[in-house]
Amino acid sequence: MAVAALRRLALRGPVPVHAAIGTDALAAVDDLSLDPRISVQQSPRHAAILLVAGPLRDEDRSDLCRLHDQLPHPRATVFWRTDPAIQIADPPVVSVEDDAAATIASVYRSLIEEGRPSEPDLQPDTPPNPWRGKGDHGQGGEGMMGGTPYGRPMAMTGDDLRDGLQLDPYTAEFGPFLPVFPPGLKLRITLQGDVIQFAKVLRPPLPQEEQSGPSAALRRIARQLRLLGLTGQAARALRLASVGDGKAAGVRRLRRLVKWSGSGQAIPPGLGRVGGADVRDRLAAWWEVASGETAEARAPDRTLVDLLPGLEWSEAMLVLNSFDIATLTGMCPIEKREDKAHSEEEKDAPEPHDHDGHQDQMRGAA
Amino acid sequence: MQAVAILSVLLLLLFGAWLAAILDRAGNALVAGDRVRTAAVRPLHDLAAHLSRQTTTTEAPDRLNWRLAPVAYLALAALGLSVVPLAPGVVAADFDAGIVLWGACEALTVVVVFLHGWSANSEFPLIGGYRYVAIGLPVMLISMFVLIAAALPAESLSVAAIVESQREIWNVVRQPIGLPLFLLLGLSLTLRGPFDYADSDDLIGGTRAEASGAQLAAWQFARLAMLASVSVMASAVFLGGYLGPVLPGALWLILKSGVVLAVLIAAGHLLARMPPSRMMTFIWTVLLPLSFLDLVLVGAELLIWG
Repeated sequence: MAVAALRRLALRGPVPVHAAIGTDALAAVDDLSLDPRISVQQSPRHAAILLVAGPLRDEDRSDLCRLHDQLPHPRATVFWRTDPAIQIADPPVVSVEDDAAATIASVYRSLIEEGRPSEPDLQPDTPPNPWRGKGDHGQGGEGMMGGTPYGRPMAMTGDDLRDGLQLDPYTAEFGPFLPVFPPGLKLRITLQGDVIQFAKVLRPPLPQEEQSGPSAALRRIARQLRLLGLTGQAARALRLASVGDGKAAGVRRLRRLVKWSGSGQAIPPGLGRVGGADVRDRLAAWWEVASGETAEARAPDRTLVDLLPGLEWSEAMLVLNSFDIATLTGMCPIEKREDKAHSEEEKDAPEPHDHDGHQDQMRGAA
Repeated sequence: MQAVAILSVLLLLLFGAWLAAILDRAGNALVAGDRVRTAAVRPLHDLAAHLSRQTTTTEAPDRLNWRLAPVAYLALAALGLSVVPLAPGVVAADFDAGIVLWGACEALTVVVVFLHGWSANSEFPLIGGYRYVAIGLPVMLISMFVLIAAALPAESLSVAAIVESQREIWNVVRQPIGLPLFLLLGLSLTLRGPFDYADSDDLIGGTRAEASGAQLAAWQFARLAMLASVSVMASAVFLGGYLGPVLPGALWLILKSGVVLAVLIAAGHLLARMPPSRMMTFIWTVLLPLSFLDLVLVGAELLIWG
């Protein structure tokens, strides 16, 4: 009785969806997020439906499996604009023309009403590394620090870039489905606190359609606004992007609203300077394009891995999302070796860290 | 009378959180240029959806602290609210140093939010926890100066005395810098908008990134309850609390708290968030000196006209 009432109530709210975005699907997912039947969640832990939108690379599949297993039960996967990329019994596949929100809503309904079983884990629920410890506490290192107990590297102190203090560096892989990254981008990042010490491109972003014009500019603006905590304004920008013409007045109003938010001052001046333009300049240029004017494009003269070290996480995300995807891809040269041999990737990290371990819980999401 | 007050505190938290959830949704829809579809039962839909999902766990979390953090957060909201007089003579915990207890709740909120991020044993929650401590410390300092300034005219640390000291003139008029600074503290205590350094979207939800199901629901409820608690405290300390003509005192307190709640939610939706290091500079070089100035001005005013 109580359970039935709970289900009825749950079904009256929007469906919590986490999107794993592949090729040419970013704009489509942005439009879908405006549907009142859907609520797109940043974390897979907050979602019931995993939406796989657009084709993925082969090497992204194991990340997708890990992401899938992070959704709480009951859960289901919907494939949109792509064939099923991972092994799931009876996966709903939605083509480009179909109403994705309706499919998602009906899958959610049958999931909650237990007509559809929750999907089991795709990967074994076992520790990712065997016991490799040495020493009194199994820590494998000297004294109480260092080593790789249970195959998990313990942080050793290293120099902080900013103030010369000795703090613990921490290395992990982020991407390719991290919502704050451009889709497909996978980085290995060494952090001290929230400051990036070292970054390496493992996989470049996936190509996305619609790279110019007012709508594309508004979508990029929306990503920046979300990073600044302006989710309502971001939704308004996406709605403007999804309509065809006659949005000049709407853009003007939105721009005023964003100006009042103090976002101009919130972004540090000189952040992510590339080709003479910083994040503020690039954002201003997008506003010009969104208003129907033209802005000159500047060729990047730095690579992404040069730009990120020394930035805090949130600054780095502002920088990362201040480029269109084609430009960013040009800034992400990767060495061939890394695509093939994952086990060899760790060699040139500044610390001897092999992070296939427990801190990678979020890596699928990440 | 005390039993009534304790019951009222719990009801205030419950309905305050409910109102906050409704206003929050309406505010977001307004800013988004969306149709405001919100309904009074809408928070129940979200709660039911959370409760119908599994509470997941991570590999080797600090389980005790992870499960306790939302409970402790809620407890701090209730404890802080308990020192506020809801009507003349009606207060759940009537003791002389009420404002100090509130200050302790603020400081412990930093600890609880950090524990929530730390105990999940995952990178984004941990970064959220770090960032919150870095920002939380100077914000608490601001709040201490502002609250001491509010206590000066009352010559007492009791919240009841502070309310009574505003019979002639509200503190918001006597010390106009105090209320905005206290509202910034409110945004920080409730992880909201420009001060949301713990649970923000750039960290995929930060300290709650790994929380799901009932645990996530508890954390979200605790955040909203703390918002209600801060609103009531702000209206007691700066807007004269239950003081007001015609209507009964408790109603005045609720009305004023509702206005503060709406202002906090609007600020959360309308103001942009700076990266943490920029905010840190802003707090230490602008906001903290402002809070000193507030204290000095109140002191001088009391010396001259007191």
